This record gives sequence, C-alpha cells and structure tokens, in this order.
Amino acid sequence: MKDLLLRLRRSEDTARPPHAYLGALGGVALLILSIVFILGGYELGVGSPRRLGTGAFPVITGFILAVLSLVVIASDLRDTSDAERPDWISFAAIGAALAIFALTVGRIGLVPGAFLTVITASVPDPSLPIVGKIILGALVSLACWALFIGLIGLPFAPFGGL
Amino acid sequence: MEIISGFGNGLLVALQPENLLYCFVGVFLGTFIGVLPGIGSMAAISMILPLTFYLEPTSALVMIAGVYYGAEYGGSIASILMNIPGTPSSSITCIDGYPMARDGRAGIALFASAIASFGGGIVGMIVMAVLAPGLAELALNFGPTEYFAVILLGLVAASAVSNGSPLKGITMVVAGLMLGTVGVDITTGAERFTMGIPEMRDGVHLVIVAMGLFGVGELIVSIRANASGAFQNEIDYKKFYPSRAEWKAMFGPIMRGSGIGSFFGALPGTGQTVASAVAYAVEKKVSPNRAGFGKGAIEGVAVPEAANNSATQTAFIPTLTLGVPGSASMALVIGALMMYGIVPGPRLLVDHADLFWGLVASFLIGNILLLILNIPLIGLWVRLLKIPYKYMYPTIIVLICVGVYSLNNNVFDVWLTLVFGWAGYLMRLFRFEPAPFLIGFVLGPMMEEQLRRAMLLSRGDPTVFLTRPISGTLIAITALLLVYALYSGMKARRARQRAHAVTETSDLQQGKS
Repeated sequence: MKDLLLRLRRSEDTARPPHAYLGALGGVALLILSIVFILGGYELGVGSPRRLGTGAFPVITGFILAVLSLVVIASDLRDTSDAERPDWISFAAIGAALAIFALTVGRIGLVPGAFLTVITASVPDPSLPIVGKIILGALVSLACWALFIGLIGLPFAPFGGL
Repeated sequence: MEIISGFGNGLLVALQPENLLYCFVGVFLGTFIGVLPGIGSMAAISMILPLTFYLEPTSALVMIAGVYYGAEYGGSIASILMNIPGTPSSSITCIDGYPMARDGRAGIALFASAIASFGGGIVGMIVMAVLAPGLAELALNFGPTEYFAVILLGLVAASAVSNGSPLKGITMVVAGLMLGTVGVDITTGAERFTMGIPEMRDGVHLVIVAMGLFGVGELIVSIRANASGAFQNEIDYKKFYPSRAEWKAMFGPIMRGSGIGSFFGALPGTGQTVASAVAYAVEKKVSPNRAGFGKGAIEGVAVPEAANNSATQTAFIPTLTLGVPGSASMALVIGALMMYGIVPGPRLLVDHADLFWGLVASFLIGNILLLILNIPLIGLWVRLLKIPYKYMYPTIIVLICVGVYSLNNNVFDVWLTLVFGWAGYLMRLFRFEPAPFLIGFVLGPMMEEQLRRAMLLSRGDPTVFLTRPISGTLIAITALLLVYALYSGMKARRARQRAHAVTETSDLQQGKS
C-alpha cells in the first residue's frame, strides 16, 4: 500500500502540463456556470427596470461573469509558466472521508462514523502505519462522543441510526 | 454629562458580583463554543438561553452578551490555527491568520487577534455609549440606494483582496455574487437554481462555503507539503508578543477596523461578517503593507478582528433602540428580552436605562475578561500546532464534518462542503483565490435585495443612485477607487514589462560576450 502510494505520487509529479491549459480550463468552467445562470435567470423572468424579476440579478451577474471568464481564458492561454502540481490522491481521499461521514453518521452513529472518516482521511499520508491510523480513529471518535454528545449535547446518536 | 452618569450607574450594575460572574461564565463558554468549527455565536446563545430564564433581565443580557462576543473571539482561534472558521465572521481572519500560523507566528497572530478584538470592543462600546441615539437615527436615513452604494464600494474594494491577478479577483467576486442567488428569492418566494433539492431552498450556508473553500481546500493542498512533518514551522515560544514594529503596524488597522465595524454593526441587517469583509478590503487598499496581505500580514488579522468585535457591540444599537435585529443572534437577544416583558425600541433608553447602561458597562468588563482569559491561553492553543500534521488533519476533517452537520443537523450540508472543498482545491489549481469569492458571496444577497428595492422605489429610474447625496458620494468614491485600481494595475504592468525588457537585454549581452 505504502509503495503504491509512493509510486502514484511520483507519477503525479512528472505529469505537469503548462498552466495555460489548466488556467483556461478554470475560465471555461466559469463560463459554463455563467451560461447556466443566464439561461436559468431568463427562465425565471427578468421583470422590468421598475420591478426586477427573480432572474434579473442572476442574469446581470451571469453576463458580467461570462465576459470576465472570456478575458480570463484569453489571458491564461498566453501564460507560459508551469502548472501547479496536482495531488489527486489527497483530493480523492479527503472527498471520500467527507462522503463516508455523510453516509455513516445517520446510519451507524457518530462514533463509528468519525472512526471511518479518520481512517479514510489518513490514507494519503504513508508515514502513519495502519495501527496508528486505527488508534487515531479510536481516540478522535471517543473524544467526539465526549465533547459533542456528552458536553455540548448535539443531537447525534453515538451508535446506531438517528 | 448624562452619558457619564449613565455609564457610572451602569458600571455599578455590571460590577455587582453576580453580574461579574455571569459575564465571566458567558465569555468563557462563548470562547470555548466559538472555537469549535461551525458552531457560531447563534448556536452558543441558543445553548445558553435556557440557563438565563432563571436570572434577572440585566444578568441574563450581560451573560448573553458575554457568550456572543466570546464566541466571536473563539471563532478566530480556529481560523488562525486550523484555517477553519469557527464563525462566519471569522472566515476573513483565515486569509492572513493561517499563513501567520504556518509561518511559526501563531502566537503573535492570536495575540494580535486578542488585542484587536479588545480594541474593537472598546471602540464599539464607546460608540454605543456616545452615539447610540444618533446612530440609530442615521441608520434610519439609510435607504436601499445607500445600502446598495455601500455594498458596491465594499465589493470594488474586495476585488483588491486577491493577491494574484486583479482580473481573477474581480471574476471571483462576481462568481460569489452569482452563487449567492441560489435558494428561495425572498421577494417573490420563487426557487432559484435549487435543482429541486429541498435543502437548497435556504441557499448555501456561509459556513459551508468558508469551510469548504478554506478548510477542506487548503487541507488537500497541505497534506503533501506537511506529510510526516509538523503542522507549521518551528515555534518560538518566547515570541508570543508582537514586536514594537508589529504593534505600530497594528494600531492603524485596529482603529480603521473598529470605525468600519462600528458603522456596519449599527446598520440593521449587515452584521459582523459584512463589517469584517469590508474592513479587510478597505485596509488592503490603504495599507502601506498591501503586498503582504494574504501572506501572513499582521494587519490582515488585526483589521477583521477589530471590525468584527466592534460590530458585535454596536449591533446592539439597532437591536435595543429600534427593535430591529442586525443578525439572527440579535433576534435571539430580542426574544430573550421579550421573555422578560421588555420591548426593545426607542423607549428602552428611558424606561430601562439601568439595563442599557449596565449592558454598555458590561462590554468594558467583558472585553477585559476576554483579554485576561485569552492571553494566558495563547501558549496552550499554539502548542496544539506542535501535534504532527498526520494526526492533525484527519481530526480537522472530523471537526469540519461535525461542525457543518450541526448547522442544520443534516448530512446534505456535509455533501455540499465536499463540493465546495473540491471547488476550493480546483480554484487553487487554476490560480483563482477563494477570498474575493467569499466576500462576493457574503454581500451578494443583500446587494440584490437593496438593488431591487431601490429600483422599485425609484420607479425604475437608475439615476437615483447618483442623485441621493449619501449614495451619490459613495458611488463617486467607488468610481475613484476603480480609476485608481486601473491606474495602479497599468503602472504595475508597465513596470513588469520594463523589468522583462531589461532581463532580455542583459541575457542578449551575456550571449554576445
């Protein structure tokens, strides 16, 4: 597992496209978002100058954003610097940890939910052995029980569904 | 004279042993609850409210006020140390507080935050004592056009918050404004961009956006950088106190932040988050250390903290003198007062002078208690950072999950945090900065509401923004700021081009020789 992570990390380090593509990709994403808001805003109704409709503000901001996104795309395409180094393993692991919390906290309770979240979140760090991950998970989940349920009284079930 | 005697009487009320005790308990509990991510002053007041049913009205209000500003201060601790804002208003403190912590200056950042909060609190208290009646009247003169002009000014200043390209800064502000429209339109009740998801009807909670963009996004970035290492650079335990230069650098921002915070706190419906966002943006424009903002500038911690805390105090002005709550937390305060049969409004200063002045004096005592409580604790908070990052970040993820879940007791908020966390990481990859986005997102809904009101009242005439004196002046200042931003942007570009040309020439010369 540790070797696999290290190998994956090394392969990520070598794959570095120029920033021009990544930057333009961000601009394109914003352009698409602005088009969604402009079209959605028109569908909601822009109203009149006197009585601005529900969709007026999304349309106004959408248009401004669309123009700005085009300028961003144009300027980023001329950027010759190296792209940032992405860390897709941490990206996936942290996303998975949040997803696991969302999926488990209402079904099996805060303590096991927090435990699994810690284990998943700690995957990208190969320096912590599996036993360490389990101990950390146990400590954090028990501390959550004591603090959030025992002391503050948040409406969580420690074990089992809500 | 009336103010001095009123304040003197208030001090006598606030210094009664039981009020002093409740003030301390309030500040203590508020700080500890505020430190927990996502659990802000509103949740803290809600938790404490049942305890106050058995107290005298003045003691209850003193305790609630203590919890309120204790929680606001506690929120900044999580922002500085872990980049996860404990309260929405402390999300601005993340921008410079966290880089300071990463740079081994967490102690100084926490000290600056405590001092700025204290300074802001004291200025806010003075403003409240001296100007409460006048400010209440001024706030009444603020119509939709004035509100819109103030927000526009804030946003233009906010576009300067970005440390990268100003173009990307403005783009992020507009994206924030646009995404702020998600949810039910409060004017018509129509749903906007909710994709039929019931949980989206209330829009996206600011804490979710801030925790996602700053907390989760930054965490993904920092895992590899910190793998198997400590969370921050070497901590110098002797360096908890700012140097003389740092004290000097903080003074101006604290004063400016307090002034802006006092003003925004007194405006109903704005609150501390808007105050700290605008104060940060303005400071970034006027500070001599502009380049250091976003990279761990002490001014960037002092200004939002001072603004936030002074707004916390002056938020009581519209709440008590007009009966108009400035925020959801203030609505809870009104609710608590009504339970005692006290109706907030212009008569409160006359009918319940003891309560009003007791509260004002308790601000002074509460802020002193906050300082006494927190300065010795700085060492403890900073030692938390010595915990290796491999133990720290999975714990932070759980804290973020619990924090966002407890906003509405709904797992949907955790899913949304995941989306914003990934978006925050991608933003960094695309070299967009999340800070201007957050400011646009905070100010957007209010800007839209005021724009629509102003257009309705002016019968569709947009010149109203220029013809009304207050808004006309504010729009003129905004225009000047824009011209200045364009001018300085062009100047910087020319300087870059000149430097580039010089480098190319020297390269050529070296090549020839």
